[in-house]
Amino acid sequence: MTTTEHAIDPTLDLVLEREVDVPPELVWAAWTTPEHLVKWFTPKPFETAEVEIDPRPGGIFRVVMRSPEGDLMDQGAGCILEAVEHRRLVWTGALGPGFRPNHSELAFTAVITMEPSGSGTRYRAVAMHGEPELKARHEEMGFAEGWGAALDQLVELAKSL
Amino acid sequence: MVRCMPQRAADLDRLFRALGDPTRRAVIERLREGPASTSELARPFGMALPSFLQHLAVLEEAGLVTSTKEGRVRTYRLTPEPLQAAEDWLGTQRDLWERRLDQFDEYVLSLEQEQRR
Repeated sequence: MTTTEHAIDPTLDLVLEREVDVPPELVWAAWTTPEHLVKWFTPKPFETAEVEIDPRPGGIFRVVMRSPEGDLMDQGAGCILEAVEHRRLVWTGALGPGFRPNHSELAFTAVITMEPSGSGTRYRAVAMHGEPELKARHEEMGFAEGWGAALDQLVELAKSL
Repeated sequence: MVRCMPQRAADLDRLFRALGDPTRRAVIERLREGPASTSELARPFGMALPSFLQHLAVLEEAGLVTSTKEGRVRTYRLTPEPLQAAEDWLGTQRDLWERRLDQFDEYVLSLEQEQRR
């Protein structure tokens, strides 16, 4: 399968790029296995209450988060666009399972790439937005902190696998 | 000039600090349309929630929003009174400066007249 190159547009995209000392196979497993996702995806002190993922194009990606007080936060069902084992996972909230469009105007698309680097992984997460205002809102809300904290949790989990 | 009482000064500090952030102003703008749950306010950026909830806490401490929990959903509402306090404070400053500028105008005009004599 050929993969699309996603050019980064700094006015629309937010990027988290980091070398992590776990191999791409484990990063992939952490991203695509519900039992693993539950443990790392939501930054503490929040938790993942429910998760569904079907890592193939058109497959569902849905996460429900729970606050420390027990409030449930359902972000709606998104769609996997591209799933290249151990290399790349692309999903969006703009579409639901089976590529059916969602109603949200606020959606973003996430491109997660993992490249082997020594015994670890060059990890990159790109959040692509349709408008500069939405990118700014995501950034101000705490993209770097939230996605960074989640990646720390992913690495911690992957090391225990 | 009337100085703010300490209690009121602390309230204004919290209020202007709460308003001095684009994420928090966006929440206020959103809540103008009606109450919304945490999930609705944060959507679609769930992974940014921990930082975002701190913003909501700042707004709540400043009294700009109140929240209630029904079942497992927390709903936020706008409480406009503190905005009135901010407007009053700004209004006082504007009045003061307008009076000061009026007096300045009068004074400069009188100086001009004196010099012509």
